[in-house]
Amino acid sequence: MAKDPLAEAGLHFDELNKLRVLEPEVRQKTVELKEECKDFVDKVGQFQKIVGGLIDLVDELAKEAETEKMKAIGARNLLKSVAKQREAQQQQLQALIAEKKMQLERYRIEYEALSKVEVEQNEFIDQFILQK
Amino acid sequence: MRLKTSLFKETKHRELVSCVGWTTADELYSCSEDHQIIKWNLLSNEATVVVKLQDDIYPIDLHWFPKTTGGKKQALAESFVLTSTDGKFHLATKTGRLEKSVEAHRGAVLAGRWNYDGTALITAGEDGQIKIWSKSGMLRSTLAQQGSPVYSVAWAPDSDRILYTSGRQLIIKPLQPSSKVLQWKAHDGIILKVDWNSVNDLILSGGEDCKYKVWDSYGRLLYSSSSHDYPITSVAWSPDGELFAVGSFNTLRLCDKTGWSYALEKPNTGSVFSLAWSADGTQLAGACGNGQVIFAHIVEQRWEWRNFEITLTKRRTMQVRNVLNDAVDVLEFRDRVIKASLAYSHLVVATSLQCYVYSVKNWNTPLIFELKEGTVSLILQAERHFLLVDGGGIYVFSYEGRLVSSPKFPGMRTDILNSQTVALSSDTLAVRDKTDEKVIYLFDAQTGKAIGDGKPLTHKMEVMEIALDQCGPSNDRKIALIDKNRDLYLTSVRCLGREHGLNKIGTMVHTMAWNDSANILCGIQDSQFTVWYYPGAVFVDKDLLPKTLFNKDGSEFSHTPQILNYVGTQVTVRKADGSLVYSAVSPYPALLHDYASSARWEDAVRLCRFAKDQTLWACLAGMAMASRELTTAEVAYAAIGEVDKVQYINSIKEQPSKESSVAHILLFSGHVQEAEATLLQAGLIYQAIQVHINLYNWDRALELAVKHKTHVDTVLAYRQKFLQDFGKKETNKRFLQYAEGVEVDWEKIQAKIEMELTKEREGAATQSVRSSVRR
Repeated sequence: MAKDPLAEAGLHFDELNKLRVLEPEVRQKTVELKEECKDFVDKVGQFQKIVGGLIDLVDELAKEAETEKMKAIGARNLLKSVAKQREAQQQQLQALIAEKKMQLERYRIEYEALSKVEVEQNEFIDQFILQK
Repeated sequence: MRLKTSLFKETKHRELVSCVGWTTADELYSCSEDHQIIKWNLLSNEATVVVKLQDDIYPIDLHWFPKTTGGKKQALAESFVLTSTDGKFHLATKTGRLEKSVEAHRGAVLAGRWNYDGTALITAGEDGQIKIWSKSGMLRSTLAQQGSPVYSVAWAPDSDRILYTSGRQLIIKPLQPSSKVLQWKAHDGIILKVDWNSVNDLILSGGEDCKYKVWDSYGRLLYSSSSHDYPITSVAWSPDGELFAVGSFNTLRLCDKTGWSYALEKPNTGSVFSLAWSADGTQLAGACGNGQVIFAHIVEQRWEWRNFEITLTKRRTMQVRNVLNDAVDVLEFRDRVIKASLAYSHLVVATSLQCYVYSVKNWNTPLIFELKEGTVSLILQAERHFLLVDGGGIYVFSYEGRLVSSPKFPGMRTDILNSQTVALSSDTLAVRDKTDEKVIYLFDAQTGKAIGDGKPLTHKMEVMEIALDQCGPSNDRKIALIDKNRDLYLTSVRCLGREHGLNKIGTMVHTMAWNDSANILCGIQDSQFTVWYYPGAVFVDKDLLPKTLFNKDGSEFSHTPQILNYVGTQVTVRKADGSLVYSAVSPYPALLHDYASSARWEDAVRLCRFAKDQTLWACLAGMAMASRELTTAEVAYAAIGEVDKVQYINSIKEQPSKESSVAHILLFSGHVQEAEATLLQAGLIYQAIQVHINLYNWDRALELAVKHKTHVDTVLAYRQKFLQDFGKKETNKRFLQYAEGVEVDWEKIQAKIEMELTKEREGAATQSVRSSVRR
């Protein structure tokens, strides 16, 4: 093939007979490269998106874990305090029971005294009837 | 009895409440660390902020200016003192305006208290100083100074001493600088609050050792509570001194004045820092640590009389139960019930505005009358009428609601009267004086005038308790009194110009009560339960008294019991732990009293024969002698083996004239002067002289003989005989003097005596003839 003077001048014709500065081969490669680059950028973008999503997700999970953790601590504390509360309540009830017991004791003494009076009075009545 | 508590749901302070104080029975002021003063109205259930104080004022204590000042009454409390942490106290008005702020202490002012008549204010500070201020806030003096903070202070009932805390010690310091200070270790921890009641003169203290204690004003411990779970942060006496309230963490307790607890409440309020009773003693308020103000009133108070049982179910409702048939009546009142009393077939209820009188026969139609003053502090009942005591005076009302009388005496303070210092019977009212506790004023209940010449009865010791007997004629009315030494004395109320002869009938008597239907007295003597079946015996025959007693072991009552009442044959005793114990007394003495008062002596003798009881015979002997019923007395004395007395009664019977026998009956009871007066009045001079000769009362015998110029030789003759018998020489100057001029001739004397006796006999005979002719 004869040397193309155009080629020497750095000019080429492509298939569509348009004047080009680059060699068709180079151009093709360039185009390919461009395509590939675009592909690459797309893919990187996609990757970033996916990774972003992942990070978000993980963040959310972390947050949730944190709240759960707090909840657990709270619950544990509550449990502890419930025990204490129960103790206090028990103490209060014990005090009330002691009070009631004292009252009961008072009533018991009163009842005993009254029973004694009853016995005495019955005795008196019996004696009274007998003497008559 | 228990407390019913309530809290306002919506309003509360944002910080802990430090102090509370009542203005009326329905309005309370509270101060809190959120700098607010809130007014709580119980009628409308509203709470309004009175004022917001400056941010640097943290209130600690509040005390309203007393309502009574120098006998004059103010309708409402108008101003109060407020103490704060910055070392100042503030005089504030009802509207919350701070009239005056006074720099008083270094560090916080922990307590501020007006005295009872409002003439002085006392403040106690963290710096350990106690200062007295005038009404307008001028410093009068620094009363005391110590190294530790004074947490609480209280005035004595007569405002002449103060009680304050010093670490674990309590100190009573008189305002008079030279007087003795009383100081004692009271608690095992720091004492946080004290209170001193004006009616019963008892002291209450609570401290960090989680105990509350009751003391008398001499510092003797009367009660110590068991240890609580938390320190006692507040104590308060109810105004009538019957109850007190104790506050602690989540705890509110209602106790009897003897210390045992009626009820315990466990509200969720945090510590109760301050407690206050309303003036009528029906409402209680507490300043709580969580910013709330807790209100409480007393319900389920009970009254019993014979077969009736009355319970205060709500503030304005009472339930009456007849135990015999289980019939239940419900009584409704327009206002809050303040005081009630059930005895002598009547229920008397005082509400804030009215007085209701019910008869136990009819619960449907009470008698209602208006009360002038709201707060009745005491109701006492007798068979025919009842007594109301309020801030203004003492009033006797009949059960028909008529004002019978309102006795008064100089220096009367009605706010401190209690059932121990006032006694009422159907014709007499007795009141112990407060300024001089030895003095008892006696009034005729019908007229309200002082009895006799108006002079009060004065004992040689301070009188602690008085009681009047309830039955029999008013001339025989007797008053029993227990003095500071715990000796029991009996005296007649109406003794017609004579001195009140006080007769001691018991020692170590803690408590006593008269029977409601017969003049029988019961009491607890040391550890013995004693019934004086016929206390009047002491006026007739002192030796007889021990024989008329009924003694029973009182150990079942344990120590310091209180006799509540003696109705019919049943004595009700309240033990120190609060339980009621009953004791039955034989019904015979009451029957005997009944027979004696209606002069049915044969029946009385028959009863004694039937009962075969020595004490009963002794009682009969006393009663018969008191009514000069010699035949019965002879029988009774014979039955208890008092031969000497039987003989004397026989000799009385053989006396030639009525006057002589009356005189000898008086002599029998040991009333020599009265006997002499009786004889002299009847012109029986020789008999009077002979009485003194028989008593070896030579001087008086001679004096009479010389004065009436007769029987001088008789006296001298007997004197000589007496000296001869005992182998003594005459040393009495007067006898020596008269012996010189008088010849002693026994025969002449005998003849003279014989003559006198016949003269007397004749005199008596003509008198009886005359009286029979007159008939």
